[in-house]
Amino acid sequence: MPDTIVGTRIRQRRREVGVGQAELAKKIGISPSYLNLIEWNKRRISPDLLRRTARALDLPADLLDGASESRLLETLTEIAHLPALEPLGVEREHTAELIGRFPGWAKAVAAMARSEREARAHANILSDRLSNDPFLSETVHHMLTRIAAVRSAADILSDYPDLPADRRERFSRMVHEESRSLSDVGEALAVYLDKAEEADRVMTPLDEVEALFEARDNHFSEIEAAAGALSDRLTDPRPIPRSTLARTLAEQNLTDPIAELIDGQSQVTTAAARKRAQKALLNYAVGAILMPLNAFGERAVALRYDAEALAQAFSAEIGSVCHRLTALPRRNDVPRFGYFRANAAGTIIEMLGLDGLALPRYASACPLWVLYRAQQAPETMIRQHASFPSGQRFVFVARARHTGVIGFGKPRHYVTDMIAMSEADAARTVYAPEPTTRAEDVGPTCRLCPRRSCVHRVEDPLAE
Amino acid sequence: MAKRVLLAEDEPNIAESLTFLLDRAGFEVTVETDGRGALTSALDAPPDVLILDVMLPEVDGYEVLRQLRADRRAEGLPIVMLTAKGQKQDREAALERGADLFITKPFANSDIIAAVQELSEGRPKPVTAVSS
Repeated sequence: MPDTIVGTRIRQRRREVGVGQAELAKKIGISPSYLNLIEWNKRRISPDLLRRTARALDLPADLLDGASESRLLETLTEIAHLPALEPLGVEREHTAELIGRFPGWAKAVAAMARSEREARAHANILSDRLSNDPFLSETVHHMLTRIAAVRSAADILSDYPDLPADRRERFSRMVHEESRSLSDVGEALAVYLDKAEEADRVMTPLDEVEALFEARDNHFSEIEAAAGALSDRLTDPRPIPRSTLARTLAEQNLTDPIAELIDGQSQVTTAAARKRAQKALLNYAVGAILMPLNAFGERAVALRYDAEALAQAFSAEIGSVCHRLTALPRRNDVPRFGYFRANAAGTIIEMLGLDGLALPRYASACPLWVLYRAQQAPETMIRQHASFPSGQRFVFVARARHTGVIGFGKPRHYVTDMIAMSEADAARTVYAPEPTTRAEDVGPTCRLCPRRSCVHRVEDPLAE
Repeated sequence: MAKRVLLAEDEPNIAESLTFLLDRAGFEVTVETDGRGALTSALDAPPDVLILDVMLPEVDGYEVLRQLRADRRAEGLPIVMLTAKGQKQDREAALERGADLFITKPFANSDIIAAVQELSEGRPKPVTAVSS
């Protein structure tokens, strides 16, 4: 079989260098008619004659010996027999001819098939993570787009033999460009996966605490029970804020039970994470004392989950209320809330995620999220109806509040609390977007955001 | 007279390939590269078929679809949604919002052409004027 290619290659090379058949035949010491038979693949060529021919045509012999072509032939033959390509009527009998006459094309098709196979393999490995990881979801989207462009252009080249030369050149360049982009995306994805696996092994304290809350569905019944008993003691004749009293009660009565709770679970392993978990669960307990779940749930329905109104109703801080909203029981008639807290530097310092919505772990999030601009108007609840490139829509509600010591001449520091809910859940709340307003386009992060015209873009998408 | 196809696609290479294919199939093709343009174009001069990519800048394909289905000027307009998102919920979201067909990338050229041919022939007469 390789000989079939060799003859075609000799003929092609001879024409490229402008040597006549008779002239070449004379140089290599055979008759023109015998050379003609070799060139048209009617005769096999001996190794010695192949070497002489290669020398006469100024080509390395291994380029004519058919070894690399043989591998290519096997690859293309395999591609030609793919069931998915059956309807295309691929001319299997001309595979060798394709390799001989258009070696670059043949290699491009093989490279494309390899890229697609690798991309599909990646996609299979990742399929179970796609629904929760916006990075992976967006990368796969880019891959499929690139594959679509390659496939469509390649099919045009294959299906329209009458294409004018300039169009053929254009579609050929398209296949080349898109194949290269596809390869880049595949490579970037592999790097990302390596990092992701590494990061999974070495979680940050924030990740560990988040994992603990996630494992418990943001709800700790043992703390709720203990806090319920303490709620009745939220009376003090002295002018002490309820929240201060609740914190004192929690610290005095629940510090040890919380430490035991942390001991009994597997998500928090490091000392730093234990410290952070202790603090987070103490805050949870303060919220539970101030806002017993049943009373809070009933009031939340009545106030349509208005966080500010709830804060006033329970004399609680807005951050505690936002946090408390995430602990509401999972029921169809109760909206699901996510909670994020960020400092002025944009660092996420607390996060209780929401199904389908996750912050990127390995890059900055989209700066268009209201979480990052709420500090421009402190102490004001700001709503954002956010539309993601995937088509998913969420409602974000953020409010920046001062933290730390306040006094004349002292700098004010703010943190931002943000609750997130799906568009559908928002309809049950005071935060339901107006039907006439358009959702604001946001993204997961620049690297994976397809909104090319966004003026806030700081990085090109992976697939560019 | 050639049937008209409005192609809303922001990926230039895919748009070029589809334009070539549709042109060869005898359609007159107009390309819009963002959702706002697609919406304006589809309402100003409703085509025989709209091929609408989901991931469009400015206004995404779902929103374009929603607005077109709420506007009587585009009543009966056959819409083929095109997206790289092939998950079940994406398909359901498109069909629930009123798409006639949902084609995922990567696609076979022949599928797109066949879909456009079928929809352009079976399209009900559009409402061009609304009596008050």
